[in-house]
Amino acid sequence: MTNKAQEHEDRPWFLAHHFDTVGQQMSSAKLGMWLFACTEVLMFSGLFLAYFIIRTLYPEMVLEASEQLNKTAGGINTIVLLTSSFTMALGVRAAQTNNQKALERNLLLTIACAFIFMIVKYFEYSAKIEHGLLPGEYYAAAQHGIALPKYSRVFYGIYFTMTGLHGVHVVVGICVLSWIFIRARRREFSSQNYVAVENVGIYWHIVDLVWIFLFPLLYLVK
Amino acid sequence: MAHTDGPPVYLNGKQVENPHEDHHHVSPMWVFSTVFGALLFLTILTYLVSYADLGPASLPVAMIVATVKGSLVVGFFMHLKYEDRFYSFLFVVTLLFVSIFFTFVLFDMETTGDLNDEAGIRYKRSVEDASDAAEAAAARLAADQPAPVPVGGGH
Repeated sequence: MTNKAQEHEDRPWFLAHHFDTVGQQMSSAKLGMWLFACTEVLMFSGLFLAYFIIRTLYPEMVLEASEQLNKTAGGINTIVLLTSSFTMALGVRAAQTNNQKALERNLLLTIACAFIFMIVKYFEYSAKIEHGLLPGEYYAAAQHGIALPKYSRVFYGIYFTMTGLHGVHVVVGICVLSWIFIRARRREFSSQNYVAVENVGIYWHIVDLVWIFLFPLLYLVK
Repeated sequence: MAHTDGPPVYLNGKQVENPHEDHHHVSPMWVFSTVFGALLFLTILTYLVSYADLGPASLPVAMIVATVKGSLVVGFFMHLKYEDRFYSFLFVVTLLFVSIFFTFVLFDMETTGDLNDEAGIRYKRSVEDASDAAEAAAARLAADQPAPVPVGGGH
């Protein structure tokens, strides 16, 4: 049976032993990633629904409380995240076309954008904390001379929960992108083996997707 | 070739004809650049529209723009447009379940008030809010008219 030996020789190094072909391995990985992306959408949908419930119960309160958010900071962060999504897509394309340099550069740019996002978020959060615009019992806007309607603390509850969970996703994104960057530096990826880059890309685009809906709802509502 | 003699290979429940030939779709650069430009344009549009007072139309408009942006990200950046249709099926089913979730809860939110009124059920929250509002109105009235009108325990 020389067949078996030859088959073994033909297997590329990145093909795990439990898959028959690279294509099979790739679509299994991608299927898993898409299922995860779908559960992410379902998880965030619960928070979006909570937002709409609060909005239905207290329409004036949500409008007035959201006026305290920094529209410009939110807008800058939207552009930063969209740019990072763009560089991520270019990174996947670079891996597909064996462009090692462009892959490393685009991954670094994506990580840099993620850090910029978190820095802007840090300044936004500190401004909110300074003015006592906090959820639940920590809400202290009146002591800081800001007159807001009753139950405004509920709006800041949903604001911090939604942007906080999204921020956690950005931090996790920085970690997985760094891991992919290290693997890219080791020249692990090629036009035949790039599914890991693509899957991290799918994760990163989901983070972007959530923000695309978060930004108008929390910052721009009228 | 030794490969063709091997066992049949299946992908997503379908047998693959030539399992060792991979076809990867690579989007050209201009597609990504165009999508990115469109996303930036729509972001600036959402931002500007928020200053133009559209009244009750502003929420639907913002949601439509966000949906268009989201579709661009999912379709082109996440490459869903060029993938096996099975992934699109998964994603659409997810959105279907999200819409069921939203529809039923928000429908309940809209109608439960009338049903409670009919049954004479009042939320503690709305009772308290109503008495707060009445108190505030009474205080304003008292401030406007210096002649003290004795406000009793309320009828």
